[in-house]
Amino acid sequence: MPSVLLSQLATANKLSVEPWPEDATLYQPYEVEQILLPENASCLAVKAYLKMCNLPFDVRTCANAEHMSPGGRMTKLPFIRAGAFIFAEFEPIVNFVEQKEMAIGNLQDEDEKADMRTYVSLVENIFTMAELYISFKNERVYKEVTAPRNGSVYPWPMNHMQNYGKRRNALRLLKVYQWNDLDIENVIEKVAKCCETLEYKLKESPDTPFFYGEQPCELDAIAFGHLFSILTTTLPNMALAQTVQKFKHLVEFCRFIDDKYFQTSFVPC
Amino acid sequence: MPQSKPRGGAASSKDSKYDLGKISARVDRVHVSGLLRTHNDYVMRAADGLFKADNFQDVMLEAMSTKAYLHELGIFKDVSVHIDVSRGADASPQGYEVTFKGNEYSRMMGSAGTEVGQNEGSLRTELTVPNILGRGESISLQGSYSNTRANDLQLKFWKPFFHTRFRENRPEFSFSIFRQTDRFDISSFQSTNVGYLIDFSAHSSLGVDLTHSLQYENSIRNVGLLNKSVPFGIREHCGPKLASLVRYSVVFDNRDANVFATRGILLKSTNEYCGLGGNVAYTSSTAHGEVNVPLFSGFVAQFCGRVGIVKETKQTTLLPISSLFYCGGPMTLRGFKYGGAGPVVDGTPIGAQTYWCTGAHLWAPLPFAGVFKSLASNFRTHFFYNIGNTNTFSLENMRSAFGMGLAFKFADRARIEINYCIPVRRQATDKVLNGFQFGIGYEFI
Repeated sequence: MPSVLLSQLATANKLSVEPWPEDATLYQPYEVEQILLPENASCLAVKAYLKMCNLPFDVRTCANAEHMSPGGRMTKLPFIRAGAFIFAEFEPIVNFVEQKEMAIGNLQDEDEKADMRTYVSLVENIFTMAELYISFKNERVYKEVTAPRNGSVYPWPMNHMQNYGKRRNALRLLKVYQWNDLDIENVIEKVAKCCETLEYKLKESPDTPFFYGEQPCELDAIAFGHLFSILTTTLPNMALAQTVQKFKHLVEFCRFIDDKYFQTSFVPC
Repeated sequence: MPQSKPRGGAASSKDSKYDLGKISARVDRVHVSGLLRTHNDYVMRAADGLFKADNFQDVMLEAMSTKAYLHELGIFKDVSVHIDVSRGADASPQGYEVTFKGNEYSRMMGSAGTEVGQNEGSLRTELTVPNILGRGESISLQGSYSNTRANDLQLKFWKPFFHTRFRENRPEFSFSIFRQTDRFDISSFQSTNVGYLIDFSAHSSLGVDLTHSLQYENSIRNVGLLNKSVPFGIREHCGPKLASLVRYSVVFDNRDANVFATRGILLKSTNEYCGLGGNVAYTSSTAHGEVNVPLFSGFVAQFCGRVGIVKETKQTTLLPISSLFYCGGPMTLRGFKYGGAGPVVDGTPIGAQTYWCTGAHLWAPLPFAGVFKSLASNFRTHFFYNIGNTNTFSLENMRSAFGMGLAFKFADRARIEINYCIPVRRQATDKVLNGFQFGIGYEFI
């Protein structure tokens, strides 16, 4: 397999040499009428991360963003087009930015980095699964929000077929992560536990607004993406939002990040 | 009475002393036997011509055309004809009785074989349930697996209306549900279409014989990518879309053979309007023509041409990539790779909105064709010159190639060609093929 490794090396070299492209574009579904909760969370996380890194990017919304994506582990969204490269989902995009050595959170040592990565993956797994669960497994949310939104970009009768396919994929993913036979109490419990861990981590450095020291890092971005989406999305079943709201520090953290990175930017994107 | 032979009868009438045309005859009675599942009214019109015959030669000719007609009805496996003098109380002096003995199709028929598409061969299996309701209605399930790894599946119901008073027009109605994959390897994408098609076809003979077909298609077209590094211009098209379109095609064909025609003209035009609901909108027109002129001692000059245009309509946001035209390859411009003579995005060829190509051929029989008559009739050699271009109708920057080759007639419908091609004019981005090129299909330029 030397050729594969060599080509990977060549790609890595190329990645680190070229600067951040001016025309980097983030693709996502329509925010107002189409995007679903798990997708919105991951898109927001990536946007927060890129803003924290101070990297310029355009946001392009299109109906078939999910189908254009090169694929990924969970939602396949968002994906970013930077020069000739296309990366989908939070982790590959973060890795891409790191290879350009423009990443944030460079101050930490290796141990802390591994520690932080663990939190990132915990947050991503727990929240994405919980969001998928509430969107597709809760009958009322599915009927009143998920299905009409997902089908909004397709003409009848294709919307029903697309909804069916999307739900089947989501349920399959839930099954892989063994979330399919949980009931809503278990889900809330898992989310509460995750929030608790995060709040504990946040309290470790009480005098700074971020999880690790003075600087934001990946964990700040992904935690913000998921928590903020859950808090601000109105669903017929607000169990997730109510759970998150119990953690005042996390709510405060979301408000802070939103103010710092999203409200103040007058640059249209 | 022995089975009649119309040609023998007609020929013998000239040189024998018995001129069958002068022997008066009258058909008293026509029997069609062997109708088990078929309703009687379905074969009623079979006798129309026979009763009009007034001499024995006409009786025999009409009997044969009736036999052909009964075959076309799609209910009989084989039909035999018996002509006898009529007997009984009400028999007229010159009276004859004609009996058609049919053998109906079995309830279910299966077949497997190879099929030839445009530059692809495929393995096809078919299961047919003929004549379900007794008036020629049939259902077939067809699956094919081609060498380009595209799988097609089709469930088709059709009903001929040959038994009505529009018999001469051969009206036929069909409804099919299909799933079909088209691979565009050169552009690294494939399109999977799932949907249904309603087709109504008929002949018209107002001055010229035309075959019309009016179709409505409603399908979901899902564009997917075939590999990872695909230009963004193609990636943009990914995802499912709903197409709802009407298609009208008309064919004029007076050639003497499908594959190696020696005289005659073929004209074919297909027009599509897409955008009756759904979210794909475009109009598409293609025209294809072929003129054959016999020269001397088996040589035939052939001129072919084809034009295609895809246009936006008012509702179009993005022209569907799978409806664009690919120019180049053994079917269009020989001497170029399939789709290799067209526009490119980031080095990958994509289809063009308009294209035209023409071809001039000189067909010749094989040398010593007289010695191996039956075998050699399946082969022809040809010299060709192809000219074409995409996205412009001007003659500047056009592509051309010439060469010679050997063609083989396959199952009276398809042609297999092996040509040595020499591209003459090309563009910098074109993918040419200087050397031997293999082609298989049924509609060449």
